[in-house]
Amino acid sequence: MVSSMGCRDVRLVYNGEDAIQACKEKKYDIILSDYNLGDSKDGQQILEELNRFNLIKSNCVFIMITAENTTAMVMGAIEFQPDNYLTKPFNNNILKSRLDKAIIKKEIIAPIVRLIKKKQWQEAISLCEQVIIESPKFKMACLRHKFECLKALKQFDKALELTTKIVNERPISWAMLGVGEIFYAKNEPQRAAELFNDMTLEFPMVLEGYDWLAKIQHELGQPIEAQKTLLKAVKRSPKALNRQKLLGEIAEENDDIETMANAFRQAVKFGQNSAFATPDEFIKLTKSIGLQLKTNNNSSNEYKKLIEEAESTFAKLDSRFKAQPAIQLRSAVAHADFSSVTKNEKKVEKYLATANKIYDRIEEHIGSAESIEITESLKQLGQTELAECILEDAVEQYFDDPQFIRKAAKLTTNKDLIANSKKANQYNNKAIHFFTIKDFDQAIEFFAKATEYAPNNVNINLNHVQTLLKRAQKSALPLQDLELAEEILMLITRLTPADPRFARYSELSRLTQLMLQNV
Amino acid sequence: MKSSLPLFSTILASTVHDMKNSLGMMLEALEAILEETPKAKSRKEYGVVQYESSRVNSTLMQLLATYKIENEQMPFNPSYHNLYDFIEEQILMHSPLLNAKGFTYSIDVDETVDAIFDESLLSMVVSNIIGNAVRYAHSEIAIIADTSKNVNISICDNGPGYPGPMLEMAGDYLQGVNQSTGSTGLGLFFAQQVAELHQHDNMKGSVKLSNGGLLGGGVFQIILP
Repeated sequence: MVSSMGCRDVRLVYNGEDAIQACKEKKYDIILSDYNLGDSKDGQQILEELNRFNLIKSNCVFIMITAENTTAMVMGAIEFQPDNYLTKPFNNNILKSRLDKAIIKKEIIAPIVRLIKKKQWQEAISLCEQVIIESPKFKMACLRHKFECLKALKQFDKALELTTKIVNERPISWAMLGVGEIFYAKNEPQRAAELFNDMTLEFPMVLEGYDWLAKIQHELGQPIEAQKTLLKAVKRSPKALNRQKLLGEIAEENDDIETMANAFRQAVKFGQNSAFATPDEFIKLTKSIGLQLKTNNNSSNEYKKLIEEAESTFAKLDSRFKAQPAIQLRSAVAHADFSSVTKNEKKVEKYLATANKIYDRIEEHIGSAESIEITESLKQLGQTELAECILEDAVEQYFDDPQFIRKAAKLTTNKDLIANSKKANQYNNKAIHFFTIKDFDQAIEFFAKATEYAPNNVNINLNHVQTLLKRAQKSALPLQDLELAEEILMLITRLTPADPRFARYSELSRLTQLMLQNV
Repeated sequence: MKSSLPLFSTILASTVHDMKNSLGMMLEALEAILEETPKAKSRKEYGVVQYESSRVNSTLMQLLATYKIENEQMPFNPSYHNLYDFIEEQILMHSPLLNAKGFTYSIDVDETVDAIFDESLLSMVVSNIIGNAVRYAHSEIAIIADTSKNVNISICDNGPGYPGPMLEMAGDYLQGVNQSTGSTGLGLFFAQQVAELHQHDNMKGSVKLSNGGLLGGGVFQIILP
C-alpha cells in the first residue's frame, strides 16, 4: 500500500522487538504500527520505548493502526501519543490523507520539539508563539508545548494562566491535568487533589488523573484512599507497570496482602514485554506470596500453587537479570527468606550459600533501598555477619541520605557505624561549604578527613577529586594535586556504568587525564 | 445470575469482537488473492464486496459502541479538531465506491475552523450516514457545516429522501427498527446517542432529519453544542 504512494525503503517487521531493533539501525520518516501485536509488546509500548530511548527523529510520523474505537487508547496514553490513529479497515486514500496531514504538522512542530529536547525553553516559547500566528491550525499543539516550557522554567503563574484559560472554555484533558500539576508544583496539594478528583469524575478514562490523585493522597497521609484511587485506574487499564507497582507498595503499607500480591503479579506479567521492568516487582511478588503463605493451610492445594508461583518468579528474575551480580545477590537472599517461610531448611542453606558466594566476588555497589531489604532478610535468617558487611558498605556510600540512615540505625548492632557515618557526613558538608566559598585548601583538608571515616564513599572521593582539579587549575605547581586525583580515581573500582554517579566519575577521569597531559 | 439481559449483552459484545476479527481476516485474505489477479479489482463485484463489508464492519462498531454507552463504559474524549479535515476524511473513506458509482460531492465547511467533538464517535456517525447516502441517493452528496453558534453538520443527498414515518420519529429512533424496509434503526439511534453525549453549558447535542435541502433529497443534521 505504502509503496504505491511513493514511499521508498519500506521495511516490514512482525513484532515489537524487531520494530525497536529496526529503529536502532535506521532513522525512519514514517512508522505504521498495529496496536495489537499478539504476545509481543503492543504499539503503545513500542511508541513509549522509541521516545524514552530517543530512537526516532523529532519529525518522525508515528501512526497507530487499531481494530476498534480508539478513544480508550487515546485517553490511556496522554503522555506519549502517536501522530494519528487509523481504524481498520481503511483504504489508500485515508492512509495518504492521514500521512500528508501528519507530515505537514510534524514539519511545523518539529523545530519546537528540537528546542525542547535541548532544554532551550525560552527559544521554544518564542517559536510556539510564532507558529500560533503563522499556522493557527496547530494552536493547541503549540500551547501544549508552551505549557511544558513554562513548567520547566518554573513560571508557574504563567503556566497556570495558560491552562486555566483553556479549561474555562472547555474541559480539555491535558490542560486539566496541567492545572492540577501546577497546583501541586506550587505546593498546594489540597487544591491539586480536589482538581484531580474532579477530573477522575469528568474524564474517568484519563488514567494520569488517578495516578496524580493517588500520589497526592499518599503524600497527604491517606494511603487507604490512595489505594482505592489506584484500584479504579488499574481496573480500567491494568497494563501500566508503574501504576501496578505503586498500588502494590501502597497496599503493602495498608497490610492488604491480597491487593499487594495481585498488583505485583500484574507488574511482573506486563513487565515481560517492557524495557522498563525492574527486579523490584519480582522480589515484592515473592514477598507478598510469602505473607500469603503464612495465613494459609500448608496442606491445601492453594498453598502448593503459591509456592510454585514464587519459585517460577525467582526463576524469571534470575534469567532476566542474569549478568547483574547485585540483583543476583538480592534474589538469592529473598529466595532464602522465602524458603524459610515454607520451612524448607535445605533451600534456605542453599540460597544463603549462593548469597555469600556472590558477595565475595561482587564488584558493584548495592543500592540503598536494596541494601536495607537484603540486610533485614539476612538478620532474620541469622546471618548477622554478612548482614553487617552489606550494611557497612551501604552506610559508607549513602550516609547523606537521612531516610536511609534512620533505617540503617535500626538494623545495625555496630554503634560506631552510624557515629562514623555522621562524622563523615559532617566533614563532607564542611568541605562542600569551603568549596562553595572557593577556599579550596580548607575544602581539600576536610574531604581528606571525611575519607578517613568513609574511604570508599564515591561521592566524597569525587568531591575530593573535583576540588583537587580546581586547585590545580589555579596553581603554578599542579602536578602533585593531579597525581593525587588520579590515584583516588583509580581506587574507585566498584562503580558500574548503570550507577547514577558513573557519569560524574568518567567526566572527572577525563578532565584529570587532560590536565595531566598539559602539565 | 441477576437477569438475563446483562449476560446477553456481554455475549453480544464478545461475539461482535469475534465477527469483526473474522471480517478483517476475510478482507485481508481477499486482498492477498487479488494481488495475483489485479484485473479482478476493477470488477463491479469487488466494489460490492468492499462496500458491503465496510457496512457490516461499521454496523458491528456501532453495536459495540451502543453496548458500551448503555453500560457507561464508553470513553468519551471531546477535543479540538479541524472540521474541514474531519469531513474530508469521512468522504475519503467512501471514495472507492463514490468513484465507482460516479457520485459527485461537495464540502462547504470553513477550512480554518476547529470544533470540539469526540472524533472517533462522530466519525462512525458521519461515515455511516454518507454510506447510506451512497446507497440510496442518485448521484450527489453535499456536506455543509455551520459553526456560527454551535457545530451543525448537514449531510444532503439527491435521493428519494427519508420516508415519512421516519421523519415523524424525531428523537426516538428505536421505533425505526423495521424488518420489512430493511432499516434496522441502529444508525439513527446511534447518531442520537452520540449527539447526546456531547454536552456543554447545559445543552445537549441532537439529530434532525428532513427532506428537501440543498439537493432536494434527504437531509441529516447533527448539532453539537
